[in-house]
Formats: sequence, C-alpha cells, structure tokens
Amino acid sequence: MHAHGIAALVTLLVSATFGIIVALQLLWPELGRDTAWLSWGRLRYAHTQGIMLGWLGNAFLAFLYHGVPILTGRPVTSRALGAWIFGLWNFAVMVPGWLLVLAGISQPLEWAEFPLVVDVFVVLALLLAAVQFVPCFFARGLESLYVSSWYILGGLVFTLLSYPMGNIVPEVVAGASGAAFSGLWIHDAVGLFVTPMALAIIYFVIPAASRRPIYSHFLSMLGFWLLFFLYPLNGTHHYVFSVIPMAAQIGAITASALLGVDVLIVVTNLFLSMRGSGFVPRDLGLRFVGMSTFFYLVVSVQGASQAQMAVNQAVHFTDWVVGHSHLAMLGFASFAAAGGLVHAWQRIAWARYNARAITWAFWLMTAGMVIMFVDLTIAGLVQGRLWADGAPWIESVQATRPYWMIRALTGIPLAGAFIALLVGLTTGPRGAGLREVEASIGTEPVDEIAPRLAPAAAVEAS
Amino acid sequence: MSGQPQRALRMSYVVASVAGVAFFVMSVALLGWWPKRVLDEQSRAMGPEYVLPLSESARRGRVVYSREGCAYCHTQQVRYLHTDMARFGAPTLAWETRLDYPHLWGTRRIGPDLTRAAFTRSTDWHFAHLFSPRAVVPASVMPAYAALFDGAPDRPRQEARDLVAYLETLGRARELAAPEGEARAREACNCTDDEMAMMAFDGALNAHPGRARRTHEAPALPRSADLDRGRQLYGEHCATCHGATGQGDGPGARGLRPAPASLAEHEYSTDRLADVLWNGVWGTAMPAWRDRRPEDLAAIAEAVRALTRAEPNPPVPDHMVELGARVFRENCVQCHGDEGLGNGPAAAELAMSPSNFHRQRPSLDRAIRVLRNGIDGTPMAPWTARLSDAELIAVAHHVRGYYEGASAAPGGVRR
Repeated sequence: MHAHGIAALVTLLVSATFGIIVALQLLWPELGRDTAWLSWGRLRYAHTQGIMLGWLGNAFLAFLYHGVPILTGRPVTSRALGAWIFGLWNFAVMVPGWLLVLAGISQPLEWAEFPLVVDVFVVLALLLAAVQFVPCFFARGLESLYVSSWYILGGLVFTLLSYPMGNIVPEVVAGASGAAFSGLWIHDAVGLFVTPMALAIIYFVIPAASRRPIYSHFLSMLGFWLLFFLYPLNGTHHYVFSVIPMAAQIGAITASALLGVDVLIVVTNLFLSMRGSGFVPRDLGLRFVGMSTFFYLVVSVQGASQAQMAVNQAVHFTDWVVGHSHLAMLGFASFAAAGGLVHAWQRIAWARYNARAITWAFWLMTAGMVIMFVDLTIAGLVQGRLWADGAPWIESVQATRPYWMIRALTGIPLAGAFIALLVGLTTGPRGAGLREVEASIGTEPVDEIAPRLAPAAAVEAS
Repeated sequence: MSGQPQRALRMSYVVASVAGVAFFVMSVALLGWWPKRVLDEQSRAMGPEYVLPLSESARRGRVVYSREGCAYCHTQQVRYLHTDMARFGAPTLAWETRLDYPHLWGTRRIGPDLTRAAFTRSTDWHFAHLFSPRAVVPASVMPAYAALFDGAPDRPRQEARDLVAYLETLGRARELAAPEGEARAREACNCTDDEMAMMAFDGALNAHPGRARRTHEAPALPRSADLDRGRQLYGEHCATCHGATGQGDGPGARGLRPAPASLAEHEYSTDRLADVLWNGVWGTAMPAWRDRRPEDLAAIAEAVRALTRAEPNPPVPDHMVELGARVFRENCVQCHGDEGLGNGPAAAELAMSPSNFHRQRPSLDRAIRVLRNGIDGTPMAPWTARLSDAELIAVAHHVRGYYEGASAAPGGVRR
C-alpha cells in the first residue's frame, strides 16, 4: 500500500514534468527540437496517461488498501497478489507505456494513448485488483455496504468493462463510428474510473476524519445510482455538431444536464456532512477532500453547461476544455487522491509525516489550480471569439501566448505542491501523522470508525 | 429490526445493480452501436462506390501523424457550424472517414483543422514547414520535425515523404468525387430540410483561405494603403520566404522549388499584386491570403512595391529591339503568348502560368539570369544552348518592354 503511495507521488512528479514541458513548448516551440522523444505530441500522450494511470491509479490502489479492510472488516485477498498488482501496474504498464509512447509506439486516442500491448496488462491488473478487493465486500453481504464501498465496486467493475471499449474498439471500428466509441470512453475514463474512486475517498475521509456520520445515506445512494446510470450516457457530448446521429448527440446532452443535477445532490450531501469542520478544515486529509468536493461542484456544473449546444459552439476545441479537464483531473481527482493518501498516512504508525510540507502542498496546489483554470477559461473564450470572427487563424495562436505564459507559470506552484506532498509523506518523524490525529480528535479503534462507514439501516440492524 | 426491510434493501440493491449494468449496456448500444449502424448505412448510401485507399506511403505517413500526436493540435473534423464551414469547408461526412483506423478527430484545435488539407499547400511548402515551422510561419507554435529530414528541408527522409503523402490525401476523396459525388450524397441523404441545410451541400467544399486558385477574379484593392502597416505585415508574414529586403532569400526559402519571387528585382502592377495575394500562385508554394482584409492586402502590396530597387532604363538600340522581337516570336510565344500576356497555346498545359510581362517587369539583370539559368521548379528552361548572348540580352530587353506600369488596368487574359 505504501509502495503504491510512493509510486503515485513519483509518477505524479514525472507526469507533471511532462505537462510543464509541453506547456513551455507552446511558448518556446524550439525546445527539444532535435530530440524526437521530447517532441510535444509524445510528451502530451505521456502526460495524460501518466496522470490518469500512474498518479491517480496508484493513489487509488493505495487508498483501497487502507479503506477496504475498514469498510468491509475483512483483509484483502492476498499480500502476494498485492505485490503482483503493484509490479504489473508500475513495471508492465507505466514504465513500458511511457517508454513506448516516447519511442513513437502509441495510439492517437484521447485517454487511451498507451499501445494495445500495454492495454493488455492494464486489463490484467484491473482484473487482479478486482480479485484483490471485490470479495471483501461480499463477505458481509450487500445490505451493509456504505456508499464508498459501492463506488469502489462500481469503479472496479465498470472500468473493467469500459477500458477495452475505449482502447480497442476504435482500432477496429473506423472513423466516425469509432469516434462514437471513443467519445464514450473519454467520458467513462473520468466518470467510471476516476470519479467513483475519488468519491469513494471523499465519502470515506469526511466521516472518518470529522468523527460525524455523513448527512444522508439516502442521498449518498441516490447520487451513486444516478451517477452510474447517467455517466455512461454522456460520451457523445464530446462530438457535438458532428456527423454522429443528432438523436445520440441530443441524448448525451440531456444526460449531461441531468448529471449536473445529480452532482448537485452529491455535493450538497458532502458539504452538509462537513458542517462544523470549518471552511478550511484543520485536518489535512479532510482539507484536501473538502477542496476536491468544491472543485467537483464547479467542474460538473461547467461540464453540464458546456455540453449544451450554445456553449459548446463557443468553446469546443479551445483551451476552455483544457481548463475543464485540468479542473477535473487536477482539481477534483488529484485533491481527493492526495486527501486519501494523507488520511491513510495519518493512520500508519510507522509512516513518516511532515505536516508543514503537506500544508504547503495544499495551498500551492490550490493556487496553481485556480489560476490555471481561470487563465485557460479566459484563453478559451478569446480563441472562440477570434475563430467566430473569422480572424486569420494565426491570430488565435498569437492572442493565446500571454495565457499560455501564465499557464506555464502555474507549473511553479504546482510542481512545488507535488514536491511538497512527496516531502510531506516521506520526511518528518515516523508516526507524526498518527500523533497529530491523536492530539486533535483522538484515535479511535477501527470498530468505532466502521459503524460510521455503514448505511444507517445496517447500523440499526447490528 | 426484522428481516423484512433487510430483504427489501437487498432486493433494491440487486435491482439497482442490474439497472446499473443495463445503463452501461444501453450507453454502448445507443451511443456506440446504434450510431455505428446509422453511420455505416449513411456511409454506404452517400459515399462513392469505391474510395481510393491510402497508398503504402500515405499509410506509413498516417502512422507518423498518429505517433507524433498531430491530432492533438489539428482536428480532422469539420463540424456542422458556420464558423467551421466558412473556414475549412464542407462538414465531415461519415463516408469520408470510413478508412480511418482509428479515427483522428481530435478534441483540441491549436493549429487549423486538416480535414481538407489536400490541395491547400504545395509539397515543398510542407517540407519547409515540417522541417522548421517558424521559418515559414513566424508565429507558429508547431514543433519542428527536423528529425524526419537529413539536415535540410530539401532533403526529406522517407518518413517525411510519407507524412506529406498522407497530408495530401486529407479530403481528397470528397474533392475527387465532386460535384457528381455531392449530387449523389445529396440524393442519398434522405434527410429533412433542416439536416440538409445543416449539411451545407451548397457551400464551398474546401474553404481554405490559403488555397491557391489558378484563375479567379481578385477584388480591387483599396487605393490608399498604409505603408507602415504594410511593412509590418510583410515582416510578419512574407519576409520568412521572400526575405526582409525582398530578395527571395528568407529562412523558409530553402527547399522551395521554385524559389520565392525576388521582389526587389521586379516591378508589379497593382492588379498583379492583388491577384497574387488574393489567389496565391498556382503551382508554387505561394499561398493565397484571403483571410486578410483588403486594406491589409493593399498595405502589403504597397510594401512589396517599395522593395523594388530603382533601376535606370536606358534606351535600347534599334537593332536590339528588332532582334529581341524576333527571338521572342521564334522561341517564347508558345508559352508567354504573342503579346507577352502569358497566354500562349501551351500555357494551359503547364503546371503553372507563364509570366504575363504586361503586369510585372523583371530587372534586366534578373531577366538575363533567368534566360541563362531557367527557373528551377518551373517549366522555364535555360536558353543558353539555343540563344547567343546577344540574343539573350535582346529578348530580355524585349520582355521588359511590355510592362504597362503600376496602375495598368487588369487587361489581357491570364491563363
């Protein structure tokens, strides 16, 4: 578990470095000119795959090792299996995936750039992860499952279904039809893998760190099921005004609006659960997931509106969308993942923990994220305006330069934040996190946390 | 608590779980499988019976395009939106993508859409641009792909040739199918009036503002022009190839065949400059600049004219005049026409139009040099084998004599 956490932070740093280089290349395009593997396109592939699979994938797995035993009262299936999953994920997926992409062996599909040979290992690792974690949930029966457990189950099962669809189908289904499947995956990658795992962490950390049960189990389950019903139906909104049948586009746009409503339910429940923790919670894990919840609200309302034709027309293909995806992956998902790691670290007696560094990480990451989002959103509006006005194309590139400059500068706080996070979880005295928790809210045995992480019905029944 | 609510809860979870999977299946069915069926059908009905497959070289070029992430800055999807159509042309139809494994639609457009890239740029322009984008387009942020070349834009390696071969297929199938193809698609569309209007069969198939046109009216440029603005625009957009002083020696010039015009050595009439700026020069790397406002084009024309080096025009001795006329009549009229209008009987067969000397005048030096060396990359051949030095000089004087001055009316047929 610890290993996944460290791997997560290392891959985060590597992926962020890729991201910073591509941001700089938009300003100084001669950067890396004579080195094929340093060219923009290849680094761009490595950046997003690294963030999604390397950083978030590892961080989520790390959290599962902490969360699943508490949620289910059962140990995970096997330690040896854990070593296998770790090895596969990092040395059969991440390392070869990056090397192949940088060497020019890849597929030009958004969120699916690792080549097919790597996809095989992704699916295998996901299967093993399902074997590792899923049986724990069935040991006690479904009726006592807390919402985090549902999200984890849903995430594991549906990623296993959607990953091959997004990574393999477009290779065998041509053109516009293949794009229809790609569109589904672009959304499912975020909606059925990243979102459920991030929400599982948020729903776990809030009651565990605040020592209060969540506001409403009913709303949590309503939100969960609506999310799993609606998320898959969103995909086609990535190709509005395309040749894909209008009925499918309109269906996806409608589902997007409904999804926005669902997120309002989820976020309301989460914020009500955080009542009393303060605007900036003292507990660092809680602070990260609180900010994550806020970003989730913003990114989802934004997503629901930019799927609508009038907005889509103005901002599609622009940096607005780049801002949106950073808000999702960096704002919502990365804050949740960081919160999950910090929370788990606080509860490992031998883990090093440096609260100062983690506090720095939080504020730097928040600053970088907010500035980047605002900057790219404005850049997108400027580009969209110039395109609509029929200005010569190059003017939209020239006009973006200052915005790209600011975006590149946000690399400084963000890289600082990621380094601080790594420092925070690898330096400092062993067990400092645990002592901090003891001092503030006092430690509690697992069997006292567990009831709060179960639906009301189960608590009453027990 | 009794077991009753427990069982109800369990049942509801089972129902919800089944529904969850069902919704996922539904998403694949309704947003993946069903569109595929519709698109396959549409593709079959609206597309040509036989779509030219990619050549082996273009197929390899597509792999280069994919691996370098070109699709992450250049979309290949013209949407059913006026802003897209005005800039790039007809929206992408399903059949146009039916050989795309996998699709390269893209989600971000930093550079222009490439759906209809075929016929918009010359091959040598592509090489120069891929080798060093900013040597051609100073404000470009495109990465340089020098690794595909042996150190110079005119020494492309196979991968660069493949990539350009691929670029030159983009939108080709639709273009080759038109207008019969458009008629067939329109008929087979079987769509409502709304959809028909959306599919914009009536608009330009390829609306690229830089695409050169061989014969086309050019709008008259505004009379007054801002020379400072013209110089600024020239510096931003023209100097890369034509050179800061108009000698045709800018950083992008290397690798272009024919070389960019040496503006300093020519005088141009206003309508010639308007024509070149508005329509480009067919068969060369010179693109059109139709996305610019006429005031800007007029300003550029003014700046170009200011580059011309003044030259004395000494009177030509009579015997030279006669000799020049005779040499021209015997050797040049096939292409350049009886009156030097560039409309000889062979002109239409050539890959690019012969000079119309009424609308542009080379310096004497330049004319003699061209007669001696020809112009690489054009049908203009060296004449030293056929003509003596005296004849070369005489005919150089002769062609210079046709020029009608800067404000010549757009007379004569340009072919």
